[in-house]
Amino acid sequence: MNRIIVIGIALSGAVSVAFGQAVPANLHTRGAQGANGVVATAKPDSAQVGIDILKKGGNAVDAAVAIGFAQGVLEPNANGLGGGGFITIKLVGKDPIVIDFREMAPIASKPDMFKYSEDGKTQLPAKRTDSTASAIVGPGSQVGGLASGVPGDVAGLLYALENYGSVAQKTGKTMTRQAVMQPAVDWAMKVPVTSNLAGAIKDNFDKIKQFPAAASLYLKDGLPYDIGDTIQNPDLQATLKAIQADGAKAFYEGPIAAAVVSEVLAQGGILSLADMRGYKVEARKPVTGTYRNYTIISTPPASSGGTHIIQLLNILENFDMKSYGQNTAKSLQLWGEAMRLVYADRAQFMADTAFVKVPLTGLTSKAYAKDLAALIALDKVMPTPVAPGDPSKYESGSTTSFSVMDKDGNMVACTKSINYFFGSGVVIPGTGIVMNNHMDDFVLKPGSVNSVEPKKRPLSSMSPTLVLDPQGRSFMTLGAAGATRIITAVAQIISDVVDHGMSIQAAISAPRIYRTNTSDYNVEGRIPVSTTNGLTALGHKLLFQDDYSPSQGVSQGCLYDYATKTLYAGADPRRDGQGVAY
Amino acid sequence: MRLPSRSLTFLPALLLLSASLSAQTYTLKAPIASKPALLISIGQSADVEMVKVLLDRSKLDYKADPQVKAGGLAASGAKTLIIAIGGSSKGLGAAGISADAELDRAKVLLAEAKKLGLKIIGIHVGGEARRGELSDKFILATVASCDYVIVVAEGNADGLFTKLCAAAKIPLDSVEKITKAGDPLFKAFK
Repeated sequence: MNRIIVIGIALSGAVSVAFGQAVPANLHTRGAQGANGVVATAKPDSAQVGIDILKKGGNAVDAAVAIGFAQGVLEPNANGLGGGGFITIKLVGKDPIVIDFREMAPIASKPDMFKYSEDGKTQLPAKRTDSTASAIVGPGSQVGGLASGVPGDVAGLLYALENYGSVAQKTGKTMTRQAVMQPAVDWAMKVPVTSNLAGAIKDNFDKIKQFPAAASLYLKDGLPYDIGDTIQNPDLQATLKAIQADGAKAFYEGPIAAAVVSEVLAQGGILSLADMRGYKVEARKPVTGTYRNYTIISTPPASSGGTHIIQLLNILENFDMKSYGQNTAKSLQLWGEAMRLVYADRAQFMADTAFVKVPLTGLTSKAYAKDLAALIALDKVMPTPVAPGDPSKYESGSTTSFSVMDKDGNMVACTKSINYFFGSGVVIPGTGIVMNNHMDDFVLKPGSVNSVEPKKRPLSSMSPTLVLDPQGRSFMTLGAAGATRIITAVAQIISDVVDHGMSIQAAISAPRIYRTNTSDYNVEGRIPVSTTNGLTALGHKLLFQDDYSPSQGVSQGCLYDYATKTLYAGADPRRDGQGVAY
Repeated sequence: MRLPSRSLTFLPALLLLSASLSAQTYTLKAPIASKPALLISIGQSADVEMVKVLLDRSKLDYKADPQVKAGGLAASGAKTLIIAIGGSSKGLGAAGISADAELDRAKVLLAEAKKLGLKIIGIHVGGEARRGELSDKFILATVASCDYVIVVAEGNADGLFTKLCAAAKIPLDSVEKITKAGDPLFKAFK
């Protein structure tokens, strides 16, 4: 009998080796802990940049800005100078703030600027101004010049530094713009091609090769780089040096701005020098809520994320999630149904509050959440969506997110993006800048609260989030990449820590689910079979993903354990995430 | 003779070793394919564009129709089908087709190709990035119908292509990099 068991194990091992799914590299070394400071980012090299800044006496904001610029170099498929994002900051003794550096629609934008085929079903491509060049392939809101909003990355990062960095706060003298940007300048000539970056290049090969400036940068002899190669980007280095020397105006005015406008126009866009000069960062009061006496601080519109994370947690607060267990059929029945309700509201209400009145107070109220919770049952699935849904938007695990926390309790979370991997595909010649395609985050036809309007910010899901413990102390920073999955990823991680006592790393690594009011019920492969059987028995139609699927959101976070006076960093194995501490 | 109990701990390793030794890899010994070729995709990943680059460089006589259906094969005039195998939810979304529908298309297409007497060359250039739940469905649905398979080694790290090809006695060539895949592909043609 023992021999039969051993043979069976051997055979099953052989089969699983043959047909098993890939396990991420360094699965068990993504997290870190230390007494002084922690950083968690989507790339080990940028995490080290952040820790080095902290070690040199920079504050959490200095570190975050250094990471932000470096991350744009090291993960160029997911963020960079041509994009935008949000930063949530809480310095000790100060009120929290959200810096909104989301892209803005160009001045010449119109609600019907994206054209469709006669039957209204197929969005037409943008048209190059050079009619002799080959036509752009792909929808105008995704590929080519028309897809880009006015980038906010440079303005946002420098705003954070100039207002909340150690020099601005008078807690240090050395973390100047020059010092903070130097790591990014250095990395621009030695960008490692990791498995993740190689895969992103391959997956976007058809887009990259349409634009000669992108192809010359991200293809090697016309084909994708191999893992282990190094990409040199001297143009981006020069651009970073110009910003390092002269600040934001080096990007938004002068030759760089002229080059951006010129190329975007050539590739069918409508950007202008006035757009670049007129870009405006918004400093906003965060949206706040509580979950089991923990305070949640997150992004208000133009991001939908913070509001809906709070709403989702508010709904689940009506249930004894701890007793139902983590990732059981009962708990995921509740998560799935709550998600449907939240996304129905998102589709109905959410937009840039500079243009639309959004019922933020109602959406984040406990009373409203209680009413929604009353619609959810443990033993049956709600009927079809309660409100018109957004078109279920295909989205990959784009965007990047990172967190910084120090022993004093200063916390920064940042999420930034160029939207789809490699954005619009347009690289500005001579600058190394990859342009965003965030115009695609608008509703692309007139008539919605989130339709295109000049200078409007497209709706986002980015949710760099801070959590205070029941005593009001700095507890956790958290953010995720992955479009609408950001909301569900951040909420599940918060619950895993608060309800189920998981470490930040375990919570980030734990398998997740995702669904909207119109999507399939997406289930990561590692969700237990007993759970998925239970959900199927209730009538849910499950869509199984890989064991470690970036389509479930990719998250980085930090946490402080007051009992042991230890800072912890957690980073996502679904991409190249890494925590570093000292 | 009854084996001592300690020997049983080596049995799994011995079984795995013998399994790996018996999974032979085949190298194509002579050209099998005739021109013209039709390049298609099963899985709708961007890999088909990379294979186009390889084919353009080799100056092989081919046409490309990544989403061709079974009914279009005869009209294409192709004598050989080159299939860029690899799943991409982005690509499927852009093509407006679900994974299940793509699998159905593959099944019918491969059956028709066999019926028409086309040679079928499967090529997987996406490496490790083009493996996983989605891509593996298309690999499992396609490889057994191929007459020859070329794979970039990184995409066969777990030996899946080796095992599938060995089981069906299909010649398999493994190359280290995408740039090297053009050579065996070109040499497969008469």
